[in-house]
Amino acid sequence: MEELLRQYMNLYYIQVLTLICIMMIAALGLHLITGVTGQLSFGHAAFVGIGAYAAALSNIHWGLPFLICVLLGGLAAALAGVLVGFPSMRLTGDYLGIATLGFAEIVRVILMNMDITGGARGLAGIPRETTLVLAFVLAAVAIWTMYRIQDSRFGRALVAIREDDIAAECNGINGLWYKVSAFAIGSFFAGVAGGLYAHFLQYLNPSGFGFAKSFEILTFVVLGGLGSIPGTVLGTTILTLLPEVLRFSAEYRMMMYGLLMVIMMIFRPRGLLGGVDLLPLLKRMLYSLRKKQTPLNGDGNGRSV
Amino acid sequence: MSTPLLELSGLTIRFGGLTAVDRLDMKIPVSNIRALIGPNGAGKSTVFNAITGIYRPTEGRITFQGQDITGKHPYRISALGIARTFQNIRLYKTLSVLDNVRIGAHGIGRGGLFGAIVRPPGIKAEERRINEASGDALELVGLLRKKDERADSLSYGEQRRLEIARALVSAPQILLLDEPAAGMNPQEKERLMLMIQQIAARGVTIFLVEHDMKFVMDLAQQVTVLDHGRKICTGTPDEVQSNLSVIEAYLGKEEAV
Repeated sequence: MEELLRQYMNLYYIQVLTLICIMMIAALGLHLITGVTGQLSFGHAAFVGIGAYAAALSNIHWGLPFLICVLLGGLAAALAGVLVGFPSMRLTGDYLGIATLGFAEIVRVILMNMDITGGARGLAGIPRETTLVLAFVLAAVAIWTMYRIQDSRFGRALVAIREDDIAAECNGINGLWYKVSAFAIGSFFAGVAGGLYAHFLQYLNPSGFGFAKSFEILTFVVLGGLGSIPGTVLGTTILTLLPEVLRFSAEYRMMMYGLLMVIMMIFRPRGLLGGVDLLPLLKRMLYSLRKKQTPLNGDGNGRSV
Repeated sequence: MSTPLLELSGLTIRFGGLTAVDRLDMKIPVSNIRALIGPNGAGKSTVFNAITGIYRPTEGRITFQGQDITGKHPYRISALGIARTFQNIRLYKTLSVLDNVRIGAHGIGRGGLFGAIVRPPGIKAEERRINEASGDALELVGLLRKKDERADSLSYGEQRRLEIARALVSAPQILLLDEPAAGMNPQEKERLMLMIQQIAARGVTIFLVEHDMKFVMDLAQQVTVLDHGRKICTGTPDEVQSNLSVIEAYLGKEEAV
């Protein structure tokens, strides 16, 4: 399959697309925590890191099958997510954000100082296993799963907490349980993304999972439109592509990246797809297309497009 | 009288130096419409917040169906059959009217993460039950045709009715209404009164806090008057209206304005 793709696609494109799919899985995890449940998390990259190291190490040391390693990465991150979820009992909003930031720094420092992770030198020699097809399939599964979660009793409870936590409690929703669950599931997604990432880059370094990365993932979710799955997908795609597209501008690249981000936020303050309901929009578009076509076939005064 | 549905004994709530509720005793029997009235700041909403577990009482006990619920978590108290509305409307603003009520029906279901993703037949049946119950509740408050609109696009009176539907859908034993008629015009109040009577006729006990005296006097079977956190008296609307200390504390003040 991969060979077939390579005949039609340049290796560089395959790599960029694979990265988009991987980051999308991580971003969907944060979407659940921040976009759906409303819990601010500034440490999402730490969960990606935990998943990446757990998956890579279980491959290198135990020689487990690749997919099992990715699953273990997800579970390790989910476990860490449960730990981080508990402060959400007492902390809300910005304060929780700061706590997650602190947690992420702790994770980075631990990864930096452990022998088994290779410390600051990083961890090399991870076999290349992640393919575009696999990353694409898992990203699709992640999107599907997220839709299923959101359209359920479980998902409605998460949204209720975001909208009004006191009313949610009085509607019989155990806030702590659902918040911790959101952190666990969101971190699981991040961990799976990490596992794929490790077997894609073949080299890991703790500095790649610092707060810069966390904020990058957060911008994917916010710029796409908080709480929107298509928004998260679009935000991740655009913001991962942008630095690549901007390569022509050499040293001005990151400056232009920042500038475009500011412009996008000015014109779409709630995110690209924030507050946009895609289904009715699609229906309207189809409807107007059909309307445009009728006069064209009819009296023929329309210009051919 | 048989054992009361809800009983407050010696309920005291202090915030720092302020005693919001002072040794309040109350017994609410099954299938009663009971009102709690009193001037602003008398501690009425505080009583509701204590019953539903948002505040932990400083002293005293709250028992529901003979079971001590003092200091329990709100979600556990809700599961026992106590539902409420809020004085300052607390809807899930950006969600649809239907979703607001479906969240209120949380207690009807069991489905968790596994059910959400795998959707076995039991979960599908559960979702159907939730949807049916939500439709019924919306029908009762007259909001069924607005089910797809956003909650914050409703008028003030409609939002209050939506809160009632959201509370009612969990099939509670007792419904706590915190100033349900606030901000409503006379016609809306009239409709609301009929609606509350309908709910009571289904066997749901009603406990309401309200400022509108006419509304309370027409609706409630028993009225308890609170002033500065203390109970002044309990009785039928007629008894309360002729009670001298009530007139002094509450009605007298209003006339003086």
